[in-house]
Amino acid sequence: MLPFLDRPTSGTGLPELQRRGGLVVIVLGCAFFLLLGRLCQLQIVRGDRYYRRSTDNFVKREPLRAVRGLVKDRSGVVLADNRPAYDVLVTPRHFTPAARERLARLLALAPSEQDELDARLARARDPARRGHDLGRSVVGIPDVDRDRMALVRQAGAELPGVEVRDVSRRTYPYATLAAHALGYLNRVNARDLEQHAGEGYDDEDFIGRSGVERQWESYLRGKKGHEVYVVDARGRRKSDEAAESLLGGERSVAPSPGHDVVLTLDVELQRLAERAMRKHPAGAVAIVDVTNGKVLALVSKPGFEPNIMTGGLSRVEEEALESDPYKPFVDRALQLTYFPGSTYKVVTALAGLASGAVDMDDEILCRGWHELGRHTFRCGKAHGKVQLAEALTQSCNIYFWEVAVRVGMDRIGETARDLGFGAPTGLGLNGDAAGRVPWRAAYEKAGFRIGHTLNTSIGQGDTEVTVLQLALAYAAIANGGQLWVPQFIERIETADGRIVSEPRPELRRRIAATDAALAELRRGMWGVVNDPRGTAFGVRVDGTTLAGKTGTAQVRKLQAQPDASWHPHRDHAWFAGWAPADEPRVAIVVLVEHGGKGGHVAAPIAAEIATGAAELGAIGGGGGVVAVGVDPTAEGPLAVDDGPVAVDDEPVREDGDDDLAAADDGAADAGAADAGAADAGAAGAVAAPDEGAADAGPLSDGGTP
Amino acid sequence: MIGLDRHLRRHFDWMLTGLVLLVAVIGLVNLYSATRHVPQHGLFSTQVVWMVIGAGIFGATALIDYRNWTRVAWILLLLGIVAVAGVHFIGISVKGSRRWLGLGGLRVQPSEFMKLAVILAIARLVHERDALSLFSRVSRVVAIFGAVLLIAWQPDLGTATLVGLIVATVALVAARRLWPVLVGGGVLAAGAPLLWWYVLHDYQKLRILTFLDPASDPSGAGWHSRQSIFAVGSGRLFGKRWLHGTQNQLNFLPEQWTDFPFSVWAEEWGFAGASLLVLAYAALVFWIVHIARQARDRFGATLCVGVAAMLFWHVFVNIAMVTGLAPVVGITLPLVSYGRSSLVTFCIALGLVASVSLRRFAR
Repeated sequence: MLPFLDRPTSGTGLPELQRRGGLVVIVLGCAFFLLLGRLCQLQIVRGDRYYRRSTDNFVKREPLRAVRGLVKDRSGVVLADNRPAYDVLVTPRHFTPAARERLARLLALAPSEQDELDARLARARDPARRGHDLGRSVVGIPDVDRDRMALVRQAGAELPGVEVRDVSRRTYPYATLAAHALGYLNRVNARDLEQHAGEGYDDEDFIGRSGVERQWESYLRGKKGHEVYVVDARGRRKSDEAAESLLGGERSVAPSPGHDVVLTLDVELQRLAERAMRKHPAGAVAIVDVTNGKVLALVSKPGFEPNIMTGGLSRVEEEALESDPYKPFVDRALQLTYFPGSTYKVVTALAGLASGAVDMDDEILCRGWHELGRHTFRCGKAHGKVQLAEALTQSCNIYFWEVAVRVGMDRIGETARDLGFGAPTGLGLNGDAAGRVPWRAAYEKAGFRIGHTLNTSIGQGDTEVTVLQLALAYAAIANGGQLWVPQFIERIETADGRIVSEPRPELRRRIAATDAALAELRRGMWGVVNDPRGTAFGVRVDGTTLAGKTGTAQVRKLQAQPDASWHPHRDHAWFAGWAPADEPRVAIVVLVEHGGKGGHVAAPIAAEIATGAAELGAIGGGGGVVAVGVDPTAEGPLAVDDGPVAVDDEPVREDGDDDLAAADDGAADAGAADAGAADAGAAGAVAAPDEGAADAGPLSDGGTP
Repeated sequence: MIGLDRHLRRHFDWMLTGLVLLVAVIGLVNLYSATRHVPQHGLFSTQVVWMVIGAGIFGATALIDYRNWTRVAWILLLLGIVAVAGVHFIGISVKGSRRWLGLGGLRVQPSEFMKLAVILAIARLVHERDALSLFSRVSRVVAIFGAVLLIAWQPDLGTATLVGLIVATVALVAARRLWPVLVGGGVLAAGAPLLWWYVLHDYQKLRILTFLDPASDPSGAGWHSRQSIFAVGSGRLFGKRWLHGTQNQLNFLPEQWTDFPFSVWAEEWGFAGASLLVLAYAALVFWIVHIARQARDRFGATLCVGVAAMLFWHVFVNIAMVTGLAPVVGITLPLVSYGRSSLVTFCIALGLVASVSLRRFAR
């Protein structure tokens, strides 16, 4: 054994320790005091805060999304439904790069899907994001099919931070049918969240983007609930009793489903109308119940596939849709305004009758042309002496020009207003444009010319209407003068059928026209289809009675109509009318955008719809018929002249948005260049200022095949 | 050793044994809770078995006259150096750290026992310092520092730092003159930046950086530290009750049975329990210092100072780490952390202290 050098006395083994003992004790005491102080700081001073933080660790509040309300047609056919779907969720904290690779391999993700997944992850990891929490799951791959769902569920623990959630997704069983009216949904974006702050949207919600989905979003979306549960550090859900007790009495709240919206739309009629439009790439149809203003069908072509829109488009698809020259997202029945052409002649007629400037029996001689200063305005043909009803039947321009000269532009404007033009219809869907009714005052600055009035009288110049406005005006003529506020909602009910709201038809006003005047108009328009001289006589179908007015609205002066089925400069083809002819039930307006002649192109569509509707029973018999007297034999048949009429060269303004002021500037220029032909030149120049006075020629509707 | 009976009864250190027992019981109670919901099975029963074995080792070490260890001190240090070097070449890796040697089915962590070897060696150096030439003294100091560097090179920076702290503490307490210690320490401190470039691994640098700026990596290295602070703080005054600590039971604490048992304890027993454990450790350390002052020879006194330093630094670094005062390093909490090597090392160390205490009046 080693010699113990400093033995033997006890307690003097290490003199340095005795010397420095006090210091050692002080240092040790300080160290332990530091630890105790730190514990005191964490557990007592900041204890409550850390307690909350640790609770936030394991208590998860997951929103429970409400099932969206259905959209149904008037008889309960579901037009917008929900289907079960699966979202693959990822939790950024646990979703390792290895797990991402495994997931991509397992599901054979396409590069675009991988890019999207990475983008979503990057967004979730962005610390600037609202409610940033790496432990919260976000949608990684939305809406996977059942096979992929099963693959992910089977993989289980091999894919940390990945789970599948059952969700419900919007589906439109009739696909493109009534796409504009129904609209579509997609995920909310940052702007929506800002706009709808406080309404409970989160960044995984869907929101109605257009149509009914947008307009009645607040009814359809329902009320979110939330689920409270316990998770462990790896995000795995714990549901044993101990875990439940950790929630401390906090309970999950069930969501309440959205209300169902029942439309006045008739799915059969809608389908019929869309089918009737099959040959034409662009146009619109509105069908309105004349007895109450309920909208039975609204077609806008081209349509879109709301199922694809709702699923979320790739950027390429989105760009393709946005650059589509047909602009498929514009609702042509409600949002766009068009020159009404000859369908507007009823307004001029009513203005004339109401003012007393013309009587129903007054005859006006049509020699086929009308001279105004140095210029000649042409009619389709020489109609001879015509009365009001015949003028409508044959769409005689001369007659209405004469009436227009007698009553003046503002009188026509007043009548137009009375019929609902120039103001939104009140449907409140997809923009519901006001259109435009021209007033004399607007032209005064640049110099008013009588040509402006002539243009207005036949629905050209600066007159613009929507398809639905025209349908409501014709409904008012057909039903004896009641202008309805259009109604699109039959009722709103809860998911279990309790009625929440059931709007009544709302009369906007009784129009100023007398019953006799309206009856005379109806007689004239009965002839359009049913009189051999009528502009749409060629399309009549035995057994179906249709009445109405054709129109060919000039978009631009053309030497020859282009051959292509759709051309941005070709005339718009119109038919506005009602069926059945003598017991009006529905007003039907057909617009074929750049389709050509109203009588040739639009009227057959209206006839097909009327025939189909009669077969469906939608317009045959039953109550609510407005009895109006139409006596087809009041006038003897005249010589049949069904031949197409050459359309005069005539400048008409472009189908654009240039306003009156701009047109007026053009008119002033043109007037200066064409001194001596002031009126006619100005009339032309108003229509096409860019083309100059040299092109200014007589106006003509020309829609008189 | 016969005839020790009377001695045993008269001089047996009940205070030391009682404090050790208190800490060990707290450790077991806590470990039961900490290992209840972890995937590894049998951690608790293994620890119980080794606690019993450890008690035997404690008793046996206490009975052996500590002076016998002076003869083998340098041999043990040499063995330790060989073992640590062996780990570097043929060691077993667990979770990326190569710290274990396979020893007939058992896994042993030589760097743990190295602490004891270093303490014994430094105790012998202090003990015989008067009989040694300057050259001998310097060469022995170099040997001890070599052992520390070897552990760092293994690499086990946590243990190397700890052994370095033990050596420094013992030197500060036991050196006859302080200036050589302070000058040496100053030189080493000046060389510390070299560690950053030549010794530290990237994950170690990350831990230190994260400690200095926890927000820089809230989901990675900083996550453990934050979750540990949440656990400790959320215990508040009286805790969430045994087996009801959510941070623990739902596994928000990493490796809660080895590196973070104190967080578990503080979460479930609150400030009351946590300060009790801290005070128990403090009492133990002070008591060992007390024994050192009573030791009848320099070897025994230095031995006790070394063990007290080892105990203190383990406790201090571990608790500072779990309360966010120090970066996350793998330093165990004595008698509370799960781990055979650590447990046996502390049983031997405390046994040595008991042995010193038992023989403080012996002739």
